[in-house]
Amino acid sequence: MTSLGSSSSSATEYTVRVPKNTSKKYNIMAFNAGDRVNCSTWTQARMERDMSARRIYGEEETQEGAAGSEFGKKQREEARRKKFGIVTREFKVEDQPWILKVNGKAGKRFKGQKKGGVTENASYYIFTQCPDGAFEAFPVHGWYNFTPLAKHRTLTAEEAEEEWGRRNKVVNHFSIMLQRRFREQERGEDDEDDADKSGKKKKKAGGRGGDLRIHDLEDDLEMSSDNSDSSMGDDGESKTRAKKDTGKGKGKKKKRKSNEEALEDSDDGDYEGLEVDYMSDESSSDEEPEKGKPSKAEEHPKGIDEASESEEESEEEKQNEEEAKEEEEEEEGKKTPVQMEKKKKKDSSGESDSSDDSDIEGETASALFMKKRTPPKRGGGRGSAGSSRTGSRPGTPSIDSASTSSTLRAAASKLEQGKRQTQGPATDSPAAKRLKMEPSTQSPVPSGKSTPQPPSGKSTPSSSDVQLTEEAVRRYLIRKPMTTKDLLKKFQTKRTGLSSEQTVNVLAQILKRLNPERKNVNDKMHFYLTE
Amino acid sequence: MSDKADVNLTGVKQSQGVWLVKVPKYLSQQWGKATEKGEVGKISIAKKQGKTEVSFSLSEELTTLGAVGEKDASLQVPREHPFTMHTVGGQTMAVFSQSDTDEISLEGMVVHRAECRPVVNDNYMKLKKLQIKESTKSPRLSQQLERAITTVFKPVANHDFNVLHEKKKKSEGKMVRAERQVVLDMLFSAFEKHQYYNVKDLVDITKQPVTYLKEIMKEIGTYNNKGAHKSTWELKAEYRHYQSAEEEEEMQTA
Repeated sequence: MTSLGSSSSSATEYTVRVPKNTSKKYNIMAFNAGDRVNCSTWTQARMERDMSARRIYGEEETQEGAAGSEFGKKQREEARRKKFGIVTREFKVEDQPWILKVNGKAGKRFKGQKKGGVTENASYYIFTQCPDGAFEAFPVHGWYNFTPLAKHRTLTAEEAEEEWGRRNKVVNHFSIMLQRRFREQERGEDDEDDADKSGKKKKKAGGRGGDLRIHDLEDDLEMSSDNSDSSMGDDGESKTRAKKDTGKGKGKKKKRKSNEEALEDSDDGDYEGLEVDYMSDESSSDEEPEKGKPSKAEEHPKGIDEASESEEESEEEKQNEEEAKEEEEEEEGKKTPVQMEKKKKKDSSGESDSSDDSDIEGETASALFMKKRTPPKRGGGRGSAGSSRTGSRPGTPSIDSASTSSTLRAAASKLEQGKRQTQGPATDSPAAKRLKMEPSTQSPVPSGKSTPQPPSGKSTPSSSDVQLTEEAVRRYLIRKPMTTKDLLKKFQTKRTGLSSEQTVNVLAQILKRLNPERKNVNDKMHFYLTE
Repeated sequence: MSDKADVNLTGVKQSQGVWLVKVPKYLSQQWGKATEKGEVGKISIAKKQGKTEVSFSLSEELTTLGAVGEKDASLQVPREHPFTMHTVGGQTMAVFSQSDTDEISLEGMVVHRAECRPVVNDNYMKLKKLQIKESTKSPRLSQQLERAITTVFKPVANHDFNVLHEKKKKSEGKMVRAERQVVLDMLFSAFEKHQYYNVKDLVDITKQPVTYLKEIMKEIGTYNNKGAHKSTWELKAEYRHYQSAEEEEEMQTA
C-alpha cells in the first residue's frame, strides 16, 4: 500500500486482488429497507432451500411395480412428451428459494427468491478490505431477494376473491378469519369420534363466521335466517355457545377500547331491524345460544363512521384477538364476573343515558349475560352492560349488541311461547324457529320474576308525555302493525321515566296481556290488533 | 443434497462493511486471466475538494484482450476505471457465502454500491464495436454450398436396418407354444411386478404366439378397454393379491 500525496488531494492506493480459490460462492441477500432488517441483532439463523417445488416436478415418480403401475409406462410417457414437444423444466436445486429463519422458532422468517439475469451482462463483485489494507474482490454468484413471511394466517386466493366480492357488505372483518378457522375445525372434526371433543372444539372455534353474516349491512335479515339455519341447525347449542363465548370475549375487548371513544347519538333509522328484548331476566341456559348469534345482528344499525372505525380497530385487534380468544374462552367463567363488575363501575359514572335504545338493548343483553354466568349478579350486570353498550356504540362491531338482540329475540319468542305451548328442544328445527323455541324450553317464568325492579311496568308512570300503559300500546297496535323495536322507540326511557330494563319488562307484560296478532312483514315480526 | 445449515454469523457480528461493485464483463474476463497471486490492479481513493473519488486502474499485463498472437492482441482494454459510488438506499444488503461443504456463512453488510466505468476513449469504442459485432451474429448460419453432397444419402434396395431385422426374425423362428403351466408361471411372475400389461409386452416377455397367449389371459385376466390404462390386460380379482406373492401362487389353477 503506497500513499501518494498531492497538492490538492490526498489519495491512497490499495491493491486489488481477485483470489483464485473458488471454494466459497458468494451471494447477495437483499432485504427491503422498509422491513428494517438489522443483521447485527440476529443471534441465530438457519437457512435452507425451499424444496416445495420438487413435488410438482417429481409427481410422476410413482413407485415402480406398485399396484396400478403399467409395464413400460415411463418410457411411454416420455415418448409421448417428446412427440408433443412438451419440454418440462428441470428442477434445479440451485434456483430454489431460500428459507431463512432468524432467532429460532419465535423469530422472523424470510423467503429468498433468486433474482434472474444478474450475471448476464455485468458481473458483480464484493470488495472487502483485508487487514493488510488491500482489497479482495469476490464475484457474486447469485442474488436473492429476501422478503418477510407472514406468521399470521392469510386467505388463499379463492377465499380472497370471495371476500373481495363481499367487501361492500361485510362490516365485521374479524369474522373472515374466524369463519375460516371454524370451517377448518369442522373439517378436522369429521374424523373425530368423540362428540364431546368436537363440541368443545367448536366452542373454541367459535363459528362466528356463519353468524356474522347475519349482520351484513344490506342483507341482514334474510341472511340471518339462512345463517341461523345453518349454524343453529345441527349442533346449535354448542355452536351458539361457542359463538356467544367468542362474541363475548371480543365484545369485552371492544368495550374496553371503545369506552374511550366519543359517544354517538343514535340516528332514527338505526334500529329498524333490531328486535327489542323485553324479556328481562330469564337467563336459563337455553338462551345462551341465541346471544351469540344476535350479537352480530346489532352491527347492522351502525353508521358508516362506526363501520370504518370498527374496521380500523379490527385491523389492530385481529391478531390480539386470535391469541386472546383461546385464553378468554378458557377463563371466561372467571373473567366475565370480573369484567362485568368493572363495567358496573364505569356505569356509575353516568354514561348510561347517551342513547335510549342502546341502553335498553345493552342492559338486557348484559342482563342475560349475567344471568347465564352468575345468577346472583344480575342487577349489577345490567347497569354496566348498558354503559358498555353505549360506549361501544360508536365504533365497534358490538358483541353485546348482538347479545341484546338475542335477548330481544328471546323475548319475542317467549311471547309466542305464551301463545302456543309448542315445546321440544329445537335441535332439528330451523334456526329461526329454534330461536323462538328455545326460550320456550326454559322455564318460562314471567318477566320480572328475578329482577328486584318493579314488576309491573304499567304501574305509576311518572310525569311524562308518554306513558307506558296497556292503553298506549293497544292504541299503537291498532293503528298499524309494529315490531317490538318500534314499540320500544315509542316508549323512550327519557319520557316514560322508566329505565330501559323496566321498559322492556313492562312492555313484555303488556304484550302478553294484549296477545296481539302477528304478521311477518319484510321478514320482521310485526304485532297488530284489530278492534 | 439439501443445503441446510446454521448460518455462521461471525462476519456480520464484526460489522464488516463491504462494497458491492458492478464490473463490466470484459473487465471480469480480464480478471479471470490473473496470475496465481490474484493481483489485478490498484484502487486509489482520493479526496478532491471535498469529494471522494475512487478509481481503479488495471494492471499492465491484463490489458491485452485475448492471447498474444491473436488478432485481438492489438486491442487494449482501458486501464482507468473510475468508480461511481452510491449509498444503499432502498435495500439492505448482506452477503452470504456458500462453501463446497454446504456451509453457509454471513460475510458482511453492504455499505456502498459502486459501478466501475471505463474511461471513454477511442480504444474503448473500438472494443465496444467488436463486442457488438460478435453479439449480433446469430448462432445459426445459412450457407450456400457449391456442390451437392453425394456421400451420405444413397438410394438402397433394402436398408441395413431392415435387413438385420428380417434376419433376426428368421433366426428366431416362430414362437413355440410352451407348456400351459410354464406360461402361467411366467405370466404370474410378470404380474407381480406390474399390474397392467399391454399385449405386445406380454408377447415379448413370454415369447408365445399371440393367440395362445390370449387364450391363457382370458382365463386368468381381464382386458381394460377404457379407463386410465387403456388397452391393457390385468389379472382377475381372485388372482390378484398384491400384498404377498405366495398367495398368488396359491391362486394358480393347476
